[in-house]
Amino acid sequence: MNDGHSFAFPDDARGELDKALSDLMGRAQDVLATQGRLRALLRANQAVIEHIDLPVVLRRIVEAGVDLVGAQYGALGVISPDGGLEQFIHVGMPDELAAQIGHLPEGHGLLGALIENPHAIRVPELAADPRSVGFPAHHPPMSSFLGVPIRVRDEVYGNLYLSNQADGEFTAEDESLITALAATAGIAIENARLFAETHRRQAWAAASAEITAALLSSDGIDVVSTLATRVLSLADADVVWVLQATEDSGFMSVETARGIDEELIQGARIPVAGSFSASVLEARQPRLIDDGSEYHLVLSGDRPLGPVMAVPLVSLGRATGVLLVGRLHQSPRFRRADLEMAADFAGQASVAMELATGRMDRERVAMLEDRGRIARDLHDHVIQQLFAAGMELQTVAGATSPEISSRITQTVADIDASISHIRTIVFALGSPATDRRDTVRHAIIDLANEVAPRLARTPSVNFAGPVDLVIAGTLADDVIAVVREALMNVVKHAAAQSSSIELAVTDDEVQLRITDDGQGAKGSTRRSGVSNLEQRALNRGGHMNFASDDTGTRLTWTVPIEEPT
Amino acid sequence: MIRVFLVDDHELVRRGISALLSAEADIEVIGEASTAAQARARIRATRPDVAVLDVRLPDGSGIDVCREVRSDNPDVKCLILTGYDDDEAIYAAVLAGAAGYVIKDVQGSGLLDSLRKVAAGKKLINSTMSGRVVQRITDTHHSDPRLESLSAREHDILPLIAEGLTNREIGERLGLAEKTVKNYISGLLSKLGLQRRTQAAVLHLENRDL
Repeated sequence: MNDGHSFAFPDDARGELDKALSDLMGRAQDVLATQGRLRALLRANQAVIEHIDLPVVLRRIVEAGVDLVGAQYGALGVISPDGGLEQFIHVGMPDELAAQIGHLPEGHGLLGALIENPHAIRVPELAADPRSVGFPAHHPPMSSFLGVPIRVRDEVYGNLYLSNQADGEFTAEDESLITALAATAGIAIENARLFAETHRRQAWAAASAEITAALLSSDGIDVVSTLATRVLSLADADVVWVLQATEDSGFMSVETARGIDEELIQGARIPVAGSFSASVLEARQPRLIDDGSEYHLVLSGDRPLGPVMAVPLVSLGRATGVLLVGRLHQSPRFRRADLEMAADFAGQASVAMELATGRMDRERVAMLEDRGRIARDLHDHVIQQLFAAGMELQTVAGATSPEISSRITQTVADIDASISHIRTIVFALGSPATDRRDTVRHAIIDLANEVAPRLARTPSVNFAGPVDLVIAGTLADDVIAVVREALMNVVKHAAAQSSSIELAVTDDEVQLRITDDGQGAKGSTRRSGVSNLEQRALNRGGHMNFASDDTGTRLTWTVPIEEPT
Repeated sequence: MIRVFLVDDHELVRRGISALLSAEADIEVIGEASTAAQARARIRATRPDVAVLDVRLPDGSGIDVCREVRSDNPDVKCLILTGYDDDEAIYAAVLAGAAGYVIKDVQGSGLLDSLRKVAAGKKLINSTMSGRVVQRITDTHHSDPRLESLSAREHDILPLIAEGLTNREIGERLGLAEKTVKNYISGLLSKLGLQRRTQAAVLHLENRDL
C-alpha cells in the first residue's frame, strides 16, 4: 500500500501551510513595498533638499508629497503672522481651474483646523468631517485628505495638504511617510531662507560699499536719490521715500520718492500727527509694520501699503530724516533681518554722507579763506595805495599849468574808476555764497556775470551810495527787473563791445543807468520792451529816459527814495 | 580855521589827505595817528574840531575810538573814512556815532566839503538813513535764529547810537553809568560782529579775524 500510494497531506494541514506561505509572501511583498516606499521617501527627500531657492524648494515639497502617497492634489500653505495663509502653492490643479475658483484658500475649515492645532489630520471623506466648510464654486471634488504641519526651528511654518488618494483613502503609513517628508522639508526651507538672507546681506553690503565709494570720490552725485534707488531694488520694495523734518513742526516733507507714484509723492508734505515716519523719527529706532493702512499709508488708486519698514537717518547725533520702505498690501512681509539690513545700510550711508559733507565743508572753507585773503589784500594794499597816489596827484594838479592839470584830473578819474571796480570785486569776494540772494548788489553782480558769456565783455558794474541799505523789498525787485530787461536787450539786439551798469543812491533818489556802445534800437521792438520798465518807474513817482542811436543806447531809471515803513 | 586830526594806518594815505587839506586856507591838520592807542591819547590832548578816522586800525577799530573820543569830549566831531563801500561805511558811521562818513574816492568822496559841513555842526547822515540802519540791524538779527537776539537793554541803546549820542548821553537818557553803557555797546557790537553779510561792515569794524 505504501508503494503505489502518493504522499498526501491532510487537508487541514495543507490549508495552514498555504496560508502560512501566502502570509510569508504577503509579508515579503510588504517588505518589498515598504522598501520601495522608503526608497521613494529617500528620493523625495533628495528632491527637496537639492534645491536652495525658496520658491523652488516649496514647490518640490508638494510635488514629492503627491508622488510619495499617490495623491491627486497637493498644496503647501505658508502661515502668516495673523493666522491665515500667506502663500498657497498647489500642484495637480490645472491653472485654468484655479483661475475659475478665484481666490486661494485663506485657511478656513480643515485647513484652519490644522493651523490652530498643528498635528496631522487624516480623513477618508472630507465632506463627512464636521470641521469641513465645503468648497467654493468650480472646485473639483475632493474626498480623502491628509494634512501635516511643517515646522521650521520649532515654529510652524506652514502645512502640507494632500487629497484624493488614488486607492481611496490615505493609510497610517502614508501619514508616517508624509510626516517624515515634512521634517526634511522644514530643514530645506530653513536652509533656503538662510541662503537667501546671506545673499541679500551680501547685496546690501555691496551696495553700501558702492555708495560709500561713490560719495567719497565725487561731489556731483545726489546721495539720497542714489540711496533710495538702490534700496528699492535691494528690499524688493514697491516704494522708497526719504522724509525730512521741515521748519513747520507739524509736517514732514518727502525729499525723495522712488517706486510707485514717485512723481506724485516727491515733495509732498505729510502731517506729523499720527504718522509712522514721525514715530520712528522721534523714537530713533527702526520699526516694522505689516499693514501700512493702519497709518493711512495709501497710494493713488486706493492702493494701501502692506508691509512697511522705516529707519531713522541719523547725522551728527541728530535724527534728521526717515527712510521708509514699503510694499503693496498682500505682498510678503518684511522680516526682522530685512529691517536690520536696511538700518545698517542707512547707518553706513549716513556716515558716508557726513564724511562727504565734512570734506566739502573743508574745501569750501579753504576757498572762502582764500577769497577772503584776496579781498583783504585788495582792500588793505591796492585800494589804499591807489587812493593815496590819487590824493597826491590831485594836490599836484593845482600847482601846474592848466594843460597838465587837466591831464592829471583825467588820470585821477581813472584811478577812482579803478578803486570803484576793485571795491565791487572786494565785495563779491568777501561775501559767503550762502547770502548771495540777499542783496541788490549781489543780484546785479550775478546778472552781469550771467549775461557775460553772451557779450563781448562782462558788463562793468558800479555802485555809489548805500545801495543795499536803501534798495530793498519791492524796490529791489523793480531795480533787478530793470537791470535784467535792459541787459537782455543788450544781449539780443545791441552787438555791443562794452556795456555798463551804474547804480547810485543819493540823499533822495535811486539812479540806475545802463549803457552800451552797440548799434542802437532799430525799429520799435526794444522800445516796447522797455515800456514796462517805464511803468515801474512811474508807479514809484519816478521817470525813465531811453535814448538810442547808432552809437549806443542809454537807459536811465530814476525813482525817489521811499520813507522806510 | 578847522582843526583836523587824521587817523589811518597807511602813511601814504595820511600824507595824501594831509597834502590835500593843507592846501586849503581854512583847514589845518593838527595831528596824525596810525593806531587806535595813539589816536585816543593824541586826540584827547589836541582837541581837534574834526577827527577823520579809518575804520580798520592795527590795534582796534575806528568805531571804538570814535565813541570814546566823543564820550570824553562831545565837541569833537568824527568822520569815518573807509576803503570799503558805502553800505559798510554807513553802518560803521552809525554805530560809531559819527557825524558822517567818507569813502576812499579821490574825487567822488567830497572830503573837503564833508569836513566843512561836519565842522559847522551838520550831520551828513540824516535820521531816515540812520533809522534804516537800526531797522536793518534788528531785522537781520531777528531773522537769524542761530544767534541769540539782542537783550532788551541793547535794543534800547541801538536807536540812541543811531541818534549819534555819546556814551554819556545814552547813560543819562537811560539812567545808566557811562561805563555800563560802554559795556553794553561793546557787547552789542560784538554780537553784530558775528552777523553775516548785512553786517559785514561790523565784521570788518570788529577787526577780529582779519
